Amino acid sequence: MDRGLLSFAGTPQPSASATITASPETISDADVMLRVKTGDESAFTYLAEKYRRPMVSFMYRMCHNPAVAEELAQEVFLRVYRSRSGYEPSAKFSTWLYRIATNLAVNHARDTRHERPEKTVRLDEPDQETGTTPDLADGALTAEEQMLRRERLAAIRRKVEALPERQRLAVIMHKYQQMGYRQIADVLKLSESGTKSLLFRAYETLREQLKEFV
Amino acid sequence: MNCNQIRERLLDLATGVDPGTPEVEKHVASCAACAGKLEELRQTMALLDEWKAPEPSPYFNTRLGARLREEEARPHAAWLNWLRRPALAVSLAAVLVAGVLVAGNKSYFVEIEAMNTTPPAPSVPVQPGTAVGDLQALERNNDLYADFDMLDELQVQDDVTANP
Repeated sequence: MDRGLLSFAGTPQPSASATITASPETISDADVMLRVKTGDESAFTYLAEKYRRPMVSFMYRMCHNPAVAEELAQEVFLRVYRSRSGYEPSAKFSTWLYRIATNLAVNHARDTRHERPEKTVRLDEPDQETGTTPDLADGALTAEEQMLRRERLAAIRRKVEALPERQRLAVIMHKYQQMGYRQIADVLKLSESGTKSLLFRAYETLREQLKEFV
Repeated sequence: MNCNQIRERLLDLATGVDPGTPEVEKHVASCAACAGKLEELRQTMALLDEWKAPEPSPYFNTRLGARLREEEARPHAAWLNWLRRPALAVSLAAVLVAGVLVAGNKSYFVEIEAMNTTPPAPSVPVQPGTAVGDLQALERNNDLYADFDMLDELQVQDDVTANP
């Protein structure tokens, strides 16, 4: 086995990253994944480094818990690694990655649906799930402004979470992962026009329900 | 340009992906409904921007590396993943149940067959009063029963003599 994987936990792999980033314009992520398929562990390290942040942020917005989001993001990479031998670049690598992430997030949400009580965000106490205050306090804001801001954030989280599953996924991918209609459609296995319509309905709901906060 | 055409582009106009054209601007300037919706949607988008996600923890790589090493250390774990697939697990369970049933039936038939064809081993004690016990007793006392028959015949002859 290549040492790239084993040393992944320790020091970064400058040589591996350098190899792949030497010509970032010419080599696609799918090509890098094909190198993973041939046993190049440093290529896997490169992909994990590149998509680590987007995966954690996607999972966080799906499950609202940073620790669980990290676990799920790691599970995505583990699944990528396990599937390396059967990988076929039939779609963009990131589309494949988000499809894995979406399945995991949806399954997790369904599995823990009954474990999660109705969420009540207490603005004067740390979040029970995360152990932190709902969001970082801004030193420039007054106590009242901070309270209003936290209320707004709690409302955003609640309203996004209350959207139907596919609308929620589409909004998170569109708004927070900066993905285009085509790619969201590919991940959710919808048509492009269907995805646009799904997003439009979702934003209309959010616009209506968050009216008091804008 | 009409309201429906604006509506189709509303999302991209609100997010800035579509910078708009003079025609769009002209319609929005003259249509209060479209202008209102566009502005509200822009404000909603700005509001949604406030929800930030945390950065991956500094231990992310360490944990992932550990999980990958664990994965590598378990070369046989991959086939177990197949068992985690619900469809496969159900099929496998069905095959196992069918196998157990077939094996159970087969041993039952073998038992019946053995009972019909082979006599019980002499060393095995047979309870009196059972069918097998009675048959064994009849076989053992065959001569005695034959004598009883002869005695019966003699008795009949005596009767004939006594009452001709």
